[in-house]
Amino acid sequence: MTPEIALFCVLGAPVLQALLVMLVPKPPGLRDLIHIGFSLFAAICAAYLVVAVYHHETAYIVLARPLPNVDLAFEIDPLGSMMAAVLTGLGVLHAVHAAGVARAKQERAPSRLLAFIALAMAGVTAVAFSANLFSLFVAYQALALAAFPLVAHRGDDEARPAARAFLATLLASSIGLFLPAMIWTYAISGTLDFRVGGVLAGRVDALTANVLLVLYVMGIAMAAIPPMHRWLPASSFGPFPALVTIQALAVLPAGGIGVLKVVTFVFGPGMAEAALAAQLLIVLVGVGMIVAALIALSKQDIRERLAYSCMAQSLAVVMGALLSLQPGQFAPAGLFAAALQIIALSCAAATLLMAAGTTAAITGRTKVSDYAGLGRVMPWTFAGFAIASASMIGMPPFAGAWAKLWLITAAAGSGLVWAAGLAAAAAILTFTHLGPLAASALAARAPTDAFKRPDGASILLAAPVILAAAATLSLLVSANALAEFLAPIWTGSAAP
Amino acid sequence: MSAAYVDLARAHAPLLMIMAPLIGAVLMLVTGTARVSWLVACAVAAAGAYVAMDFAAIVFGGYPQPIAEVGVSLFVDGVGVFAAALIAVAAAFVVSAVGASLKDAGDAASPLALSLMLCIAVGWIGALMARDLIAMIAAVETAWLASTGLVMLNSQRDRAALNGALRMLSWGGVGAAFMLVGAGLVARATGSFAIDVLPLAHIRMPNVAAAGAALIVIGLAVKGGVAPLHAWIAAALGRLGTTYALAIGALGVLGALSVLTRFSAYAIAAPEIGGSISAALAVLGSASVIIGSVQAVGARNLLRLTAYAGASQAGCVLLSVALGSPAGFAAALMQLVAFVAAALALYGGAAAGRVQSLEMLDGYGQRAPLASAAITVGALSLMGAPLTIGFLARWRLVEAGVGAGWWWAAGLVVIASLAGVFYGGRLVERMYFRRANIAYAGDGGVWRVALGPVLIVAIVAIAVGLAPSVLLNAAAKASLMLTGLAA
Repeated sequence: MTPEIALFCVLGAPVLQALLVMLVPKPPGLRDLIHIGFSLFAAICAAYLVVAVYHHETAYIVLARPLPNVDLAFEIDPLGSMMAAVLTGLGVLHAVHAAGVARAKQERAPSRLLAFIALAMAGVTAVAFSANLFSLFVAYQALALAAFPLVAHRGDDEARPAARAFLATLLASSIGLFLPAMIWTYAISGTLDFRVGGVLAGRVDALTANVLLVLYVMGIAMAAIPPMHRWLPASSFGPFPALVTIQALAVLPAGGIGVLKVVTFVFGPGMAEAALAAQLLIVLVGVGMIVAALIALSKQDIRERLAYSCMAQSLAVVMGALLSLQPGQFAPAGLFAAALQIIALSCAAATLLMAAGTTAAITGRTKVSDYAGLGRVMPWTFAGFAIASASMIGMPPFAGAWAKLWLITAAAGSGLVWAAGLAAAAAILTFTHLGPLAASALAARAPTDAFKRPDGASILLAAPVILAAAATLSLLVSANALAEFLAPIWTGSAAP
Repeated sequence: MSAAYVDLARAHAPLLMIMAPLIGAVLMLVTGTARVSWLVACAVAAAGAYVAMDFAAIVFGGYPQPIAEVGVSLFVDGVGVFAAALIAVAAAFVVSAVGASLKDAGDAASPLALSLMLCIAVGWIGALMARDLIAMIAAVETAWLASTGLVMLNSQRDRAALNGALRMLSWGGVGAAFMLVGAGLVARATGSFAIDVLPLAHIRMPNVAAAGAALIVIGLAVKGGVAPLHAWIAAALGRLGTTYALAIGALGVLGALSVLTRFSAYAIAAPEIGGSISAALAVLGSASVIIGSVQAVGARNLLRLTAYAGASQAGCVLLSVALGSPAGFAAALMQLVAFVAAALALYGGAAAGRVQSLEMLDGYGQRAPLASAAITVGALSLMGAPLTIGFLARWRLVEAGVGAGWWWAAGLVVIASLAGVFYGGRLVERMYFRRANIAYAGDGGVWRVALGPVLIVAIVAIAVGLAPSVLLNAAAKASLMLTGLAA
């Protein structure tokens, strides 16, 4: 297999997977086998691409040339291949879990649900591997359109308006802000290609750079920057497998990846011209993190609480990316923090949402007040829930801790101590809305009527949770290797 | 021997483009049954489309084919060839698509309806080949009266359609009067009715010439459904049978916008009046984008929504032409392609299930999946989604606008696309995420013949978005051949 073929497979396999799942809705066993098998295949291809990048191989595929001098193209780079590997790897666990939830909850139209999950995964991998701004824009729009049916899946009076809000926010912001920024960039530089060091570096004045940065960051609404975050709570009306896809594996991470790619390849680390807008946006995301964590605390429905919790985590990604625009030697640290935070967010959020999905499927409970003692009867599921909560909070040795450590280091090193303070405050507030919940689930007295399903949770529902939770420990041993792997995107050679 | 005939036919292709559907229109009146009429109409329209495409391929392919001077009033230029080919192809799609719904008009009226559709195509193609203003206006009025007749014919099914026909007559009359007065003023100022001499003419009275040209533009804008001059369109299309809406909303509007593009391109090229015409087009185009978008967002009838979205698209056409550069003209031609692709997909998709109100779209994705797919593609193109012809066309406009320093034009394109998200998203949501209304559950029409051409259009809208080089090259060459091939 060549890297080109692997890249084509990792992008195309989910699309084929979606088609097959729709064409073979019965028997459910075969449908689920196709869903899981193709997810596994995509993950293997993504892992192969990581190895290829490690060995300095390249791959660049052009699917179309819809505009003169602008290709719909995808290529492998350290950032994209790493993100794709993590997300598709978690996607395998999610595929198993989604099949389990669809059976346990007897979701309506399970084939459609699984098919759009696969399409959303195709969208996020396309975002990760996009070779230029146009391809990023196309992948972004495709992802929004693929995720829209997931939110609207139930088709009831709550889901439909939520889906409308979801789609309207994502598409309107991308067309109203991202697209003009892309056009402007094209007008300035004559190209939309991503370049290490930034295509705008040395070509823009301070005013243009600041305005462009605001347009890009607000236009990539998938990163959930206030006030473009309304799609995220709206997505809570989807079924649990859809929530995992949207908030942990596809849409929210795609926002982080998009911002990271734009900052890295369009502006370039340490771009002093955009420092003012970057600082203002850091204030916005920092305050947003705290407010999101507070709102999460006020929510009693686990889906809404996790949505706002994930929003706070996603904003930490944006903060890291923006910190990299501050002049000085700590710019790469910001990028590294953002990359780590995407990985940490995906692992922890996938675990939490899958655990909540398992709980809802088995016990029918979605209120946080009803979680007390459930860990006694579902120990594996809530062990995973507790580990993921610890990671979201930023407790060592879980993934979130290393991400936040680098984030605070980058902020303090850039002279923005207040930004470090905001990140720390958000972490404490995350503890308040997740810590007691996990503790109460594990320590309180077991409820007497816990199980809706007398046979309990099947392995399809429990195993993915615990494996995803285990993934949050991965950064403990791999952070240094990861830094070396990602180094070319900011320095060309060295680790931060 | 046959090669000689082919060469002769090719040399007279512009005339054949007009005569083929015209003869077909006459034949309709003697063929008798609806089915036979439809088959003849399809054959004639397909022949016309083939001739037009072949001619366009010769012109834009760079072959050293001599183009004959045809008669005294036909004049062939790049924009005319491009747009005529587009109209001929669209006419072939429209005629073949209405076959499945002929009985809606009644067996006796069907041949007449088909004849009128062919006359619409003849009129607009003739106007695109006209050398002088009077011939152009005569051809435009032929097409317009045929359109009005088609709406009147629909009143057999729904008396309310008469209101639409009356509006078309009255507004069309105003438009015709504007054009005639404008032609007179232009002739007075330049000393000639000829369109092709405008760029090089010595204009003695620039203000008079500019006023005349502006009146012609306004007259054509009325017929092209350009907001706010489109008061006829809601009444005419809102109560029109869905299949007939294809002929008026797609073919008719395309023809008017094409002629408007061609005339404006000549007028803008005239140094004395170019600035004034450019400003008028820019103002009218901006208003059309904004008003059309707002109306489309608020529309509750699919046919009207499509018409208003078309007005927004028409505004983009006018903005492109207003730039007055080859890049702008090429962008305008791409906008025309995008418009007709979206209109055919939307009207055709609606026609398959006789959908008029938005409520009738509820659950349409299950009742008529292929028609829904066509509507979805049309909506995506209208919102300017990437990899559709709509995105490509708007990108070309933005590129040309930014190149000319018209940043505000890029802003208007963004507004049009944002509005497209709202009304296009609403269509998609109704089709796929609502339960079918029981009252309309029987109106599936899933496998109607009409869907064939509609689906082809939808596929083409995507395919061209993915690989647009042929179309882009043709549009670029057309914009550079404005001075005429026969001169």
